[in-house]
Parts: sequence; structure tokens; C-alpha cells
Amino acid sequence: MNRREYLKCMASLIALSSAAIPGLAIAMGPEDKFTIAQLKYKGAFNTRPTALRRLTLEVEKRTSISTGPKIPRLSATQKSLYQYPLLFWSGDQAFDSLPQKATQALRDFLLSGGMLVVDASDGVVDGPFVQSIRRELTAVFPNRKLSSIPSDHVLYKSFFLVDKPVGRLAISKELEGIFDEDRLVLILSQNDMLGAWAKDNFGSWTFNCEPKGDKQREMSYRLGINIVMYALCTNYKSDQVHVPFILKRRKWKVD
Amino acid sequence: MSTYNSGDLLWLGDWGSLWILFLLILGAFVFAISYYDLRILSKRKCWTLVGLRIWVYLLAVLFLLEPAIDLKNTSKVKNQVAVLIDSSISMDLPSEAGSKTSRLSLAKSGLKALNIPPNKTDDEHVYSFFHFDKESELLPNTDALQAIGPKTDLAGVLEDIKKGFSQKDLGGIIILSDGIMNGDMGSRTRRGETLDAATKSTLERFQAPINTMVSGDPASLRDLAIVNLARDDFAFVHNKVSIEVSIQAVGIKDRDLKLMLSRDGKEVQTRLLKIRKGKSIYKLRFEFVPQKIGKEVYSIDLPHLENEALYENNHAQFLQKIIRDKIRALQVVGRPSWDERFLRRHLKQNPNVDLISFFILRTNQNIRVAGNDELSLIPFPTDELFQDELGSFDLVIFQNFNFGPYDMRRYLSEISKFVKEGGGFVMIGGDLSFSKGGYANTAIADILPVELSDDSDAIDFRPFKPQLTDAGTRHPITTLAFDPTANRELWKQLPDQRGTNIVLKAKEGASVLAVHPTLSYGGEKMPVITIGEAEEGRVMALTTDSTWRWGIERVGDGGTSREYQLFWNNAFRWLIKDPELKLIRIENQKEEFDVGSATKIAVRLSKPDYTPLTNQQITLSVEFKPFDKQTKDPVKLYTRQIRTDGGGIGETMLKMEKAGIYTIFAESKTDGGVLKDRDVIIALGSVNEYRDILPRPKFLKQVASASGGRFTRLGKDTPSVNLLPSKSIQVNRRRVIHLWDTPWSFLLIIALLASEWMLRRRWGRL
Repeated sequence: MNRREYLKCMASLIALSSAAIPGLAIAMGPEDKFTIAQLKYKGAFNTRPTALRRLTLEVEKRTSISTGPKIPRLSATQKSLYQYPLLFWSGDQAFDSLPQKATQALRDFLLSGGMLVVDASDGVVDGPFVQSIRRELTAVFPNRKLSSIPSDHVLYKSFFLVDKPVGRLAISKELEGIFDEDRLVLILSQNDMLGAWAKDNFGSWTFNCEPKGDKQREMSYRLGINIVMYALCTNYKSDQVHVPFILKRRKWKVD
Repeated sequence: MSTYNSGDLLWLGDWGSLWILFLLILGAFVFAISYYDLRILSKRKCWTLVGLRIWVYLLAVLFLLEPAIDLKNTSKVKNQVAVLIDSSISMDLPSEAGSKTSRLSLAKSGLKALNIPPNKTDDEHVYSFFHFDKESELLPNTDALQAIGPKTDLAGVLEDIKKGFSQKDLGGIIILSDGIMNGDMGSRTRRGETLDAATKSTLERFQAPINTMVSGDPASLRDLAIVNLARDDFAFVHNKVSIEVSIQAVGIKDRDLKLMLSRDGKEVQTRLLKIRKGKSIYKLRFEFVPQKIGKEVYSIDLPHLENEALYENNHAQFLQKIIRDKIRALQVVGRPSWDERFLRRHLKQNPNVDLISFFILRTNQNIRVAGNDELSLIPFPTDELFQDELGSFDLVIFQNFNFGPYDMRRYLSEISKFVKEGGGFVMIGGDLSFSKGGYANTAIADILPVELSDDSDAIDFRPFKPQLTDAGTRHPITTLAFDPTANRELWKQLPDQRGTNIVLKAKEGASVLAVHPTLSYGGEKMPVITIGEAEEGRVMALTTDSTWRWGIERVGDGGTSREYQLFWNNAFRWLIKDPELKLIRIENQKEEFDVGSATKIAVRLSKPDYTPLTNQQITLSVEFKPFDKQTKDPVKLYTRQIRTDGGGIGETMLKMEKAGIYTIFAESKTDGGVLKDRDVIIALGSVNEYRDILPRPKFLKQVASASGGRFTRLGKDTPSVNLLPSKSIQVNRRRVIHLWDTPWSFLLIIALLASEWMLRRRWGRL
């Protein structure tokens, strides 16, 4: 750098400092960091209060994604929902039907780019919560049905190579989903993923994972990170450039 | 009467055949009554009186029929004969190997041998002389005729002749040519083939013999020629282009030669041409992948051999128009984010975009709790992306990406070069971008349209709404609504951006489309959306990383994601120089012209809102460079000032006197800046006539045969023609003599009536 360039640079910094700038930060600001929102509804919506923050912390630790500290809890009709395109819906019991306004808002949110992950904490396959969810989903998407997410879907390889979906429990062997064209807009898990991620204030796991303990918990985290990665990168890992690598690691034959 | 050589009897009376029949029957009745009345008389007296009455009756009927004699002086009408002499440039070639007689000279000699009288008329025919190439023209003086025509279109010429002689009897056509026809007829019937059905039908419909005389002998010639290039008019960038070259080698012994394809004087590919006995036509194929959109001039060359009849046909040039089939975009992202996700989704949904994404999913700062085999991560293919394949992209997107951790500094100059050679580049903000990404004082900083701060922490995270500048109000990237006021209002309604990278100011020549509402530098508001050009390429700098909010938060506000999609679509179209978004466009009717032809060059100017820019001055200049490889620098032909009309179009003419590359530059200083465009056209000399220079006697023989004419090999046979004899008669003088309309005829009737009356009285009949 010559003298003229140096002076120019210094002048620019002085000028910028003199502008009305409240502060300089090392990132674009907390608002612009990745955050997961939690759906608030009439009923026990916050069954695993610490789980989502734990997940975002793991995401921050293990991936290049920069995450925010907050987990906003928002109702379906709140306009700010659109600031958080990844939304978790959890519960452990049946709940009353959502108002029509709320189902309409959820549909608009999901079709405009949002993604919803439903996690049942009750530990029962097709329990009361899931039945309520299925009822609501027919209202949100009358013409789309939940279907099994195939095991070769990019969700299972968006970051970790995951063989099967597990959470605190492993009672359901598959995830279900609703697609908008090729994009998953909704994922339904019945294995209590949030239960596997939750910690108490002392840093201890809130629940034990069954039947495989901490190994299962790790696999559940990996699935959670994959869900986040899928939300942010969609089918990136199904791009042709990745396919040979992934097949090789899965020890599948490459033609 | 001696002036009349023929005559006819006419009946001028306007009597129908029924009336004539009635009069004859009436006459017979009168004859019968008379005979009955006079039967008591002697036979002699009876027949005398009846005879007189019949004569009177017949004379009366004759008068009614008004007989006349039509006297005529007639002569034969001579048939027209069109004599066509080929004056295309191939007729200037030697008639045979080693001969100094040109084909045209031989044709002229053949014409003399036909012994056509100097007044071009004999007993049966009148001869009209024409010379022809792509069209025919009357030939007043055969001796002065020169072979300079660029093309030979026999079908078109015959059609003209047919029209020209449509009111006259055509006794035949005499064609003196080497048979090299590159119009429809000659192209349909290739060398060695029989005439196609369409040509035969055309010739038969002519109803006059076409006599052909071939000038030149193909047997003894020695020539190596590129006779045809089979290729498409346009090709897609990054897609294989195939060009099939047909080569004719005659009179050349077995040998191997090099066929070379070159672009801008530089060799692109070569092929081995193996000339072997018994084969004259060879086909070789070039295949290559064009890397840039635009027009490229290619040359195909064969070596010169000794004693070839012609060297010009050892070379061929063509202009290849290369267009885009899909936008190939490379999206490189430093970390997954909503901004990346919405942009990727938008690009993936566009069928015209071929997107290659590469995201950094994990960095060295992340904890590694799993082995690589448990992850789907792949190595960052920097070599492949930024060295091997970079040229195959139209657009590179750096979205919140810092190059530092990936040892990429050495590739930054490659990216800079890629842009300067015509690529598009956009840097999107984020905490890994601009100065924060370490781009200050790098090759990328050189091409960015903004000046970067050396402060690597220069980020402001307050929400803000970008403010459109005047340029931004009109520029296609930021035009989200056609009306400028509505556009400004629309931008005010868009969701806030959450923070911005801090840059200093726009570079000179760059256009700032939107600024930060509060941040400023040197009295100027800090640019947020800035565009610029880096030599041939285009660059955009967007200092925020939250345009994705226009795609979803706007929906939450009751709007749609239209503005997000429109903004990015506009941006990509501008970055890749979508021709539809050019405000100045040189428009040519075609790319390849014949030497000597003239073309109209039109320059279309538009305002930023794409309405015509009227009454605007344009500086238009033309440079010329011949095809030869020795000439390195083009020569400026002219610079003209033209003005646009009410439609925003300025025009001028360009005459292409020489074969070569004509590069047209248009420049106009407008309120929105200096607009420039460039276009290339080429002029090809005698391209058709010199491709295949071997005379085509077989073709001409078939033409003669199909039309009933005769075929002559000039210099070898005695010229002989078949012409239709004259059939029509011309009346030079005519006179009609009315036989009944005289006093004598009336006196004759009176005399006959008087005689009958007198004899009847004498013979005792009242």
C-alpha cells in the first residue's frame, strides 16, 4: 500500500466513523442469524423448552451455520412468523382445532418458503397429538397428504449420512412429510426428537434415549442438524457433483 | 395486287346459318314453282326462263350475304432465341489444365462458331444476347464481356428469360457456360447425380429446347478445394459444435495433408486429409466447444500445392454465431443461510438456469464429532471450479463467501480474468463478504464497482431500507414497477434489510442503483446496490444478505414474492448481458455478405425504461481486417455521426469492397451514461463460384437432354443447336374488296330481270 492509498483508507474510516453508526459488529447482526421458531397454540406446545436451543447450539458447533440465541415462540397468525422460515410444532397431547385463520396462515407460510417440523413428544405411535396433527393438516393442505419420506431422500444426507430417523425413542421407523413440488414443506416425527436434545439447566440430559442410549441421542442430533441443513440448502446434496462421493461413502456401487 | 401474296373470300353479311338454309330452301321452292309454271313451254324456253330466275335469286341472296375478298401481304414471324453467356467469375478460370484460354474466351469462340449473322437475324430466328450470373442482362457487346459475377443461378435466369419472352415465340435457348451453378438448380443436382424431378419438370415446362455448350474440361484440372461446409447457423455456448468439411481433390497423387481450423488467426484444431487414388470427395469433421457468447470468425485452410488451378478455394471462412442455451451460474456460499436458500431455490426453479452450487457446510472452527465417512461433505473442488471449468460459466455468485480459509487467493485473479473476458460476477453481502471476507486489495476488489475499506470488521447491522437513486429508478435491475414514482414507492414497501457490509464509495464509471439511508462517505450516501463493467464483463455489488426477506416477509405483509424474483431475474439478465436488456443494439440483416455488396446498418437506442431514444447522436465506426493471417491490426474504414429517428433507430450504409471481417462499433452519450455496442459481419469473395471449379459437362448435357436441346463441348465438338422453326405468320398489309357493293352488280340483276320479262312476253307468257 502506498502513502496515497493509506491516507485514502484512513480518511474513509474516519468518515465512516463520523457517520451516525451506532456500532460495528463482527457479524451482520443477531437478527440475521439462523434461528428456529416454535409454534405456539392452545395446548402444551412447549413440552421440551430447551431442546431447540440445544439443537441450534449443536448446529453452530458442528456446521458453518451461524445461529442466533433466541427461540421465538409464535402463533400461526403472527406476522413475524415469516422472519423464521423453519418452524417446529411439538406437543404430547390432543389439542383443539386451530382457527381457520391459523390454518390459512400456516398454509401461506409454508407455500411461500417456510418449513414446518412436527415432533410428537408423547411416545405413542399415532397418539392423541399426532391424530390432532393429522386433523389439522387436512385443514392446512386439503389436497396434499402426508406420505413416507423415502430413505434415499436428501434429508438423510444433507450433512450427516443418517440411516434411520430416531429421537428419544425409536418407535417409528420413518418420517412422514408433505411436499410442495420437490420441496419438503412439512416433516412429521413420532420419535420425540426434542426429547433427545433437551438438557436441564445444569447441562444434564433431561431424558434417556431408548433403546440405544447416547448413541441414539447422537443419531437424533444428526437428524436434527440434517433437518436444519435441509431447510437451508434444500436438495443441494442431491446435486450431481455430490452423488459419487455420497454413494461411495454409503458403499454403494458406483457405475 | 402484286403487293399482296394471299387472299381470302369473306362473307360480311350478318346472316346466321339457319337463315342461309332458309334462303336455299326458298330458292328451291321458287325454282320448283317456276318450273311447274313454265312446263308447258318447250324445254329450251322453260329452262332459259327458270335459269334467269335462278340467277336473279342467287344474285339477290349473294347481295344479302355481302361477299368480299380479303387481300393480305403476309410474312413469317421469326422465333426468338436467347443466347446466354455465363459471366460468373469461374468463367475466368483456365478452360483446361495448362491452357491460357479462359472459359469465357472459349465460350466467345463457340459463340462465333455458331455463325449468327451480325444483325442477329436469320430466316427463322432473331437472336438476343445476354450474359448471366445470378441474374441476366442484355449483352450489347460480346467482346467486352468480363467474368466477374459472384454467383450463377441458372434457374432464376431461365425464369427471367421465360417472363421476358412471354409475349413472343421462343425458338430455343443457347447456354454457354462451365456448368458451375450454385443457385437452386445446381445445388439440387450435385456433381455426378442425375437431374432431380423438380429441375426436369422446370425444363420441360419451358417448351423450348435449351442447347448447352460447356466451356472447359474437368478431366485435366488439378485442384484441391473446400467445396462445402455443413454447419448450423448458430451454436450454443458450452455445447459441442460440429462442422463437416467437404473437400474435393482432383489431379493430385496420393498424399497426406493437414486441414486446419483456426479462430482469430490461432489454430483451434487440425485434421489429417488422406488423398487416395480413385477418390475425389473427402469429408472431415471438426468438433469444438465455444466458450463465449457472440460472433466468432473461423477459418478453414488447406495447404497450397503446386500447379493448382486455383488457390482461393483452399480456404474457407465463416462466422459462427454463438448463443446461450441456458445461463450457467456458479453459486459459492460461505455458510448456509436463508439468503442462500432463497436464492438457490429461485435459481433452481428457473428452467433457463443451469446452477452449480457449492456451499461451505463446515469450517475448521467447527467441532468434528464424526468421521468423514459419516458425513456427506465433499472437498471444495477449487481447481475444478475456478480453474478448469470457470470459463464454462456465464455468472459467478459469491454469496457471503470468504476465500481465505480455502487457499483461494491464487484463483481470485482467474475470476477477475473471467469477468474481464465477458463473464458476470455478483458479490452478495454478509459477515464473510466484501472487506469482512478479506477482499480488499485483491484481484476481486479490482473488478468490484465499489471501493472496499481496509477495515475487515466494517459491518453495520442496523435494519434499513435501501433508497433508489435516480439511476436506480430507471435501471432494469431495480425497475420493479414501470412507472418511476410507483417504483420508488414499491421499494419503500419492501421489508427492511438487516445490516450491511460497509464499502466506501462507487468507483468511477460504476452506477449506484440504491444507497443506504444514513451511512455516508465523503458526503455521498454509501452504495448498497452498485453495478459496473470490468472490461468485457459485468459486476454487481450488493452489500446486504437479506434480500430473501423480500421473498417471504413480503408475503407476510400481504404481498407476494414477485419483487424478489423480479429483482434477481433482472440482475442476472443484466449481468449476463441479455441482448434484450441492451440499451444500444446494432442490428444487421445477416452476418455474411458477398464482396461488393452493401448493407444497411441500423442502431437501435432505448431509454432505460426501454422506450425509443429519439433524435440522439450515435457515433458509428467500422473497422476492416482481411482474412489473411499476416494482417494483425484492423484498419478503420470510417466514423460517422448518425441520429436516431422517431423509432429510436439510426441508420447508415456500409459497402463491403473487400473480403474480410468488418467490425462495427456504435457509441452514444446519453443521460444514463455512454452506451456502446459492437457487431461483426464478414464479406466473402466469390465463395460460391470458387468452391467447386471443375466444369460440369454432365450437368449441362442433362439440361439439354431434358429440354430437347443439343449439347456441345466447346473446343472439341462442332457447335450444333436445335431451335424450333417459325410457325406464326405476320400480316404486313391487308385490303378487303366488297364484291357486291358496285353499280355493275345492280345493273346485272336489272338486266337479268329485264331479259326474263322480255323473253317471257315474247314466248307468250304474261
